[in-house]
Amino acid sequence: MQNLESFINIGLNHFLYLSSIVFTIGLLTVLLRKNLIVILMGIELMLNAVNLSFIAFSSYSGDIHGQVLVFFVMTVAAAEAGVGLAIAVAIFKKFKEVDISFFQKLKG
Amino acid sequence: MISAPLFYGFSFFIIFFSLLVLLSANPIVAALSLAAAMVGVAGVFFALGAHFIAAVQVTVYAGAVMVLFVIVLMLFDLKRDESVSSALSRFLKIAVVGLILGLITGAVAMSGFDSSLQIFVHDPASITPTKKLATLLFEKYLFAFEVLGVLLLVIAIGVVSVSRIKGGTHAKS
Repeated sequence: MQNLESFINIGLNHFLYLSSIVFTIGLLTVLLRKNLIVILMGIELMLNAVNLSFIAFSSYSGDIHGQVLVFFVMTVAAAEAGVGLAIAVAIFKKFKEVDISFFQKLKG
Repeated sequence: MISAPLFYGFSFFIIFFSLLVLLSANPIVAALSLAAAMVGVAGVFFALGAHFIAAVQVTVYAGAVMVLFVIVLMLFDLKRDESVSSALSRFLKIAVVGLILGLITGAVAMSGFDSSLQIFVHDPASITPTKKLATLLFEKYLFAFEVLGVLLLVIAIGVVSVSRIKGGTHAKS
């Protein structure tokens, strides 16, 4: 019965498990996919998972400082996506390709 | 207190669309499922009482960032299929990531967080959480907030100059 109860009563741990699963999927996306844009999406997924655990800790401890940190993380993530996509555009212009296995040599 | 059906519904939604990002061959499908996953995360934020952060998540991530991704994808003409790494290297990567997942969940399970811990409920008569967040952001964290503005300005200029380079230092003219 205790197992069923911990399944139904949603606590902090459940959010941390969800966050770790999403983080893992993001990490797998970064490692396994070869498309530069999809790799950036995987990074966004990982940042979202971290934000999720920040918000979970923040609301379970009644401390609003976690939300401020999530706000900052979001802004920096948006900036990072902008820079990443600009680099992708620059690479595409040079190689006509966004598959990262073509970029092993940095010198063109 | 979040009800179990709500939590599991959001969880399956988020995990399903995250897996779609990982597995879909078409990058446009990946971008749209990433947007869906972010909306799901925003729903969890809302359920946890972070209303302002949920709104920012929808507008910034599911709105602005995803539009940027989709536009850049449409700029490229992706005809060739992605190359895949060798089976051994794929197996190694999946094994290492599985190990990391096991370590994280094991750490959470053994951390001894009290599962009877409840979400901190704000007294409705007192100051609302969003108002509290705004006060904190514009008083204690004002300097960091302004630095963030400068960062965004620098990023905007940097992005324009990076996307305009033609071959960089190795230009063949």
